[in-house]
Amino acid sequence: MPDSKTKQYWRSPGEEVDSADGVSGNDLDAWREPTPAYVRRRSFLKAVGFGVAGLTVSGCQQTPEIKAIPLPIQPAGVTAGRPMHYATVCGACTAGCGMLATCRDGRPTKLEGLPEHPTSAGGLCAMGQASLLGLYDQLRFDAPQQDGNATTWDEADQAIVARLKNIDESGKAICLLTGSVASPTLNQVIDGFLGSYQDGRRVNFDSLSSSTIADAHQATHGVRAVPQFYFDKAEVIVSFGADFLGTWISPVQFTTQRTAGRQLDRDEPFMSFHAQFESCTSLTGANADLRMALAPGEFGLELTRLAVKVAELTNQSVDVETLAESSIPQQTIEELADRLVHAKGHSLVISGENDLKVQKLCNFINHSLGNYGSTLNISQPSGIRQGNDGELAALVADMKSGAVGALLVHATNPLFELPASLGFVEALDNVDVVVQFSTRPDETTEYADFVCPIPHFLEGWNDYEIRPGLYSLGQPVIQTLFDTRPLMESLGQWTGETAGSRDLIQRFWESTVYPQAESRESFPKFFHTALHDGFVDVGTDSGEGADSFALEAVEPVTVVTGGNEFSLVAYAKVGLQNGTHACNPWLQEMPDPVSKVTWDNYACLSVATAKLLGVEEGDVVRLSLDDSSPSLELPVYVLPGVHDQVVAVAFGYGGVATERFAGIGPSWIESRPTVNAEGRVGQNIAPLMNLENNVLRNWRPGLSVQPTGEKHELASTQTWHRITVPKNLAPPGAERRPIVQETSFAAFQKDPHSGHIEHHEFGPDKLYPPDHPTDGRQWAMAIDLTKCTGCSACVVACQAENNISVVGKDEVRRRRDMHWMRIDRYFSGEGDDVEVVHQPMMCQHCDNASCENVCPVLATIQTSEGLNAQVYNRCVGTRYCANNCAYKVRRFNWFYYDRPDGLENMALNPEVTVRSRGIMEKCSFCVQRIQNAKIEARVQGIPVAADAVQTACQQSCPADAIVFGDINHPESPVSRLMRDNPRAFRVLEELDVEPSVHYLTKVRNSVDVAASEGDEHHG
Amino acid sequence: MAEVQAGLRQPLILGNKKPVDVSNDICEIIERKPTGLWWAAFLASLTMLIVGTVAVIYQMRVGIGTWGLNRTVGWAFDITNFVFWIGIGHAGTLISAILFLFRQKWRTSVNRAAEAMTLFAVMCAGIFPLIHMGRPWLFYWILPYPNFRGPLWVNFRSPLAWDFFAISTYFTISFLFWYLGLMPDLATIRDRATGLRKKIMGFFSFGWDGSSRTWSRFEVVYLLLAGLATPLVLSVHTIVSMDFATAIIPGWHTTIFPPYFVAGAIFSGFAMVLTLMLIARKVMHLEDYFTVRHVDAMCKIIIVTGSIVGLAYLTEFFTAAYSGNGYEQFVFFNRAAGPFAWAYWTMVTCNVISPQLLWFKKIRTNLVLVFLLSIVVNIGMWFERFVIIVTSLHRDFLPSSWADYTPSIIEILTLIGSFGLFLTLFLLFCRFLPVIAVSEVKGILSTGKPRAERPAFAEHPEADEEEVEPELAGV
Repeated sequence: MPDSKTKQYWRSPGEEVDSADGVSGNDLDAWREPTPAYVRRRSFLKAVGFGVAGLTVSGCQQTPEIKAIPLPIQPAGVTAGRPMHYATVCGACTAGCGMLATCRDGRPTKLEGLPEHPTSAGGLCAMGQASLLGLYDQLRFDAPQQDGNATTWDEADQAIVARLKNIDESGKAICLLTGSVASPTLNQVIDGFLGSYQDGRRVNFDSLSSSTIADAHQATHGVRAVPQFYFDKAEVIVSFGADFLGTWISPVQFTTQRTAGRQLDRDEPFMSFHAQFESCTSLTGANADLRMALAPGEFGLELTRLAVKVAELTNQSVDVETLAESSIPQQTIEELADRLVHAKGHSLVISGENDLKVQKLCNFINHSLGNYGSTLNISQPSGIRQGNDGELAALVADMKSGAVGALLVHATNPLFELPASLGFVEALDNVDVVVQFSTRPDETTEYADFVCPIPHFLEGWNDYEIRPGLYSLGQPVIQTLFDTRPLMESLGQWTGETAGSRDLIQRFWESTVYPQAESRESFPKFFHTALHDGFVDVGTDSGEGADSFALEAVEPVTVVTGGNEFSLVAYAKVGLQNGTHACNPWLQEMPDPVSKVTWDNYACLSVATAKLLGVEEGDVVRLSLDDSSPSLELPVYVLPGVHDQVVAVAFGYGGVATERFAGIGPSWIESRPTVNAEGRVGQNIAPLMNLENNVLRNWRPGLSVQPTGEKHELASTQTWHRITVPKNLAPPGAERRPIVQETSFAAFQKDPHSGHIEHHEFGPDKLYPPDHPTDGRQWAMAIDLTKCTGCSACVVACQAENNISVVGKDEVRRRRDMHWMRIDRYFSGEGDDVEVVHQPMMCQHCDNASCENVCPVLATIQTSEGLNAQVYNRCVGTRYCANNCAYKVRRFNWFYYDRPDGLENMALNPEVTVRSRGIMEKCSFCVQRIQNAKIEARVQGIPVAADAVQTACQQSCPADAIVFGDINHPESPVSRLMRDNPRAFRVLEELDVEPSVHYLTKVRNSVDVAASEGDEHHG
Repeated sequence: MAEVQAGLRQPLILGNKKPVDVSNDICEIIERKPTGLWWAAFLASLTMLIVGTVAVIYQMRVGIGTWGLNRTVGWAFDITNFVFWIGIGHAGTLISAILFLFRQKWRTSVNRAAEAMTLFAVMCAGIFPLIHMGRPWLFYWILPYPNFRGPLWVNFRSPLAWDFFAISTYFTISFLFWYLGLMPDLATIRDRATGLRKKIMGFFSFGWDGSSRTWSRFEVVYLLLAGLATPLVLSVHTIVSMDFATAIIPGWHTTIFPPYFVAGAIFSGFAMVLTLMLIARKVMHLEDYFTVRHVDAMCKIIIVTGSIVGLAYLTEFFTAAYSGNGYEQFVFFNRAAGPFAWAYWTMVTCNVISPQLLWFKKIRTNLVLVFLLSIVVNIGMWFERFVIIVTSLHRDFLPSSWADYTPSIIEILTLIGSFGLFLTLFLLFCRFLPVIAVSEVKGILSTGKPRAERPAFAEHPEADEEEVEPELAGV
């Protein structure tokens, strides 16, 4: 480059510029010329000139105009980015729990329990919480359908009205087949609609039928209704197969009530006694103080024995023939009867069995004990279950005979939920018009001439009267996302009523509710208050309703039905229930509280039966009944506590709704699909059931079980189920893992410290001073194992709050579930005779955390407020922290968990980072909520209130088992609860990791055990 | 001369070699065209390497989920392979540095190959901490360097951060040591070669001139580096063992790990040196240089270290039993009789029982048997790390989180790929560099010349006076 005339310079003393002589580089003159001149002035100017010109030219492009929509007039109370909370009513099932919807920027992102609601009291079950995803479901109908093709509402209305008119003129019946409708306004509209036809009929049907409860009360009390239950007033609860904590009628309400009946941290602790007889281990059975397996055919007989004993003790004379031999020891029956009679007026006997005789026996016992008016109330019929199986049977018969011209189907999916033997499909052929009101395509859609899409409950107006006088008001929290119309408006439209559902509801409230409330306010103000509060309670708790009791209606059951053969029992699974929400990935991935299996239904067998049949978990068996019912092939799940002659299978699986999961989860060379060979998740058990004597039965005798030799690996989040380690590997004296403290109520009363597990205690003088002294705020959590039922509402609450990915069946199989909050379920005991304990487990936010010091990049650190923070964007993913976590609560993003459904992403919480591939995540104690509370306090210039922060899991817990707060704050709920609480313990405290989560000893009101143990301990 | 020595002890180098014979023997290997056998081995290794690379690329693109890990077992093949390769990498420096300081002259026949093996093994090892990260593209975050994030430093409490320092230091020193020893030999090749090879070797031998001054400085540096490398032999695996020992997981949380790991590393390293050298000896006709005596000496080290490892296994059981800690006790019951019992007993058989066969001189001198045993030890030591990592993790404190572990095909291919890398590099080394330290071997030849004429570097004259080794002193 350099020409000979240019003076040359060297860059460093060692560099020789002129290789020819090699000396000039060392020329000292060069030192005196410090100006480097590699770029000459002219070339510099050229470069600058072109550069500036180029930049100018490139800058001349017009920037694309982005239109932001400002709010010239700010809506009152709305601040962008600030969440709004609206009280509404949960429509996920018919229980009508109060709901508080959190909306951000106009879209709901979190559903929680409404704390003030009289029945649910702030609790909300997993299904209710997960129903948020149902709102953002891309597969919902987006327009009315006629014969499978999209049409407009006008055309559909005209066609339907015309067809209905023709049918009406031809003298055929117009029938509305609906699930229970608790909305008084809707009921009024339905009545008006059906009344406008010559033969308009309404058939209520619940696929999880409680029809015989109402039938039994019809027989004994003259009122066809399901009564209200008050478990809080019951000191003794005896349940024959009613899973009232999990799936029966109104589980959130019942869980709340049960908790109210079990208070240990009072001066005078009290605890109800709960006995459960059931054929398959349910959530309720898992929480019972006394649990016995009972074949479904034995329920009547055992209830008869109990009834006889109770009658004897209450000085009634009953004539009963000799009773067949039964499985429950006479002593147990006598003790139970004794307890019931001792708690006269404060006891409750219920049954979930859909069997008229059984239900009448329950009524008899409750009547004999004077429980009507106290623990259950027939003068307050429940709006939750109104189904009538008899009407359903009649409807199908009419349909077959051609008497039904039009069938309107609402809030139910009969082709999925009804027994095949009922012949509903065949009967549909004889119906001229089938109109379906549904949010999304299902089994019935295929047969519907018209589909009138209805909005998700969060998009529409609704009201509920789940108990007389308790009116809840459901308001929309988002504009309808699709072209949908509520049933109320459709029916109104067809009868010439053009008012919207809000007007209809307001009209009804003005005419009916407002007068009852005797409010001094004007109606608009009253309505507004009701809207704000979410409900109006104008009911009174009084009313005996038990004046007359038709004793003659009660029939004893003296024999066992089913005999010694296997019975097929269909049960409702927590979260899935009848399968309405089977399309919801959160619910599919939520582990069953008892089996811990996700994404499948399976044949539950007892340990003994599995041994007898020579099968183990995952072996596929063929279940066939001796009649023409279809047979099913299902994998076995060995569940301790199932009756030995029972094979139990969950409802709600195998529907078309689950076909959407074909592509869920990461795909890679070894991945397996979530769906089965039929393209669905699980198998539908409902077609195997039958409708007999006007009753939908949930069990069938005469089952044959044949192993097929095939294998199907179930996706379970827990693979070792016992609290004891395998026998052959157990070190002497360390068979049982000391991680759960348990005791009995009797022992607890003698010594509140009973059940305490001794372990190494660390003195105050440790070798090293504490790393993180926490004088200021110190967030901590307390979990009461006595209250926790394991219902898993918290699991879904956490998933919704913290944007936790769904990973699909195969990933769960590979033990890569992502739940931050999990519920460990342990069996203790031998074989089928087990006790169950549920232990919610999430990051323990250790103050001396083992995860923190192993992270090479400081991606997990202790905050000044005692939180164990995970810094997502710093994490490089060595997984050392997860390995070194004693609680194994850390979750790794093994893949980029794609969220292809753009609409579904609307459910994401904008306050929580969506984690990417390759990083670790875990429970943060809902740090975003903590921050919000702190910001709020700072804005208001006040200290953070003692109970200002509620974590997502705590908020939704129906059992009120979780308490959170600043343990250094003397008034915070957690410090009040933990202060000198004799039941407090921390899991693995002996490792000196200083966990911030405290647990309270599980106390069972068990019959015989531990009273003596307590003595020993004390001594 | 040879006859006189034979009465006392076999010479280290057979065949009555003169220095020039050594140069010829070793240099000719790289001067002639590669044999068909070499090509076959090279292509096989390269295939393994390519397969492994494809597996790693796939895993990088798709995610760590393509491994069989889960929320309970967060490390398995990855860290097993890492520790395995680090262990393999131990023999080189031990042979070069410690045996050099202890004046074990037989080391000269194996040190070059062993050091090269060390480097390649450490390279293989280094890959795993990198690819096992969830976000390997951010690997540099575990290096402490000034940055604009605060500055945010690494966590000096984390053994993974120590690992980085330990391994990079070890690699650097091992490399320098190896390269330094290589320089006189590179100069020898340079002097024999013409053309391109001459230029290349001329460059890489840094202008070695073989003058007394050069030799003298060379020896000083070599000795110093040997001194520096010696503690590293102990430190690297000590620190690797702290990845586990500082954790709270039963089965990891134990103070016996540092000596146990170091002994295990030497054990596996010597086994790998034997495996490779027994092949090289046959293929490259180095029977005179790598003799039964060498094998015998190395087998003795294997017996010692293998027994230390066996003792460590027993001590672990004793400690668990004596601790009274139920979690700790369970881990060892679970290892011996749990779902991974097969892995545990494979480990015990390979590492403790089979090396005991080497007590018999007949077996030690049967090279086929020794070769097989060395492979058995390698397998055993891989399983040792697998057992430590997986069986401790898969069933820890809370039974609810217990999980099994099955490797995915990607993990298996990655392991194969690491062997591919190792063998490919080793074959290239055999092809292009002298596998035996020519200048050092010359130093131990007893050719009957007056002492002054011997190459001086290997032995200090004073040392020679004190250390009366029969093969040299028997003149």
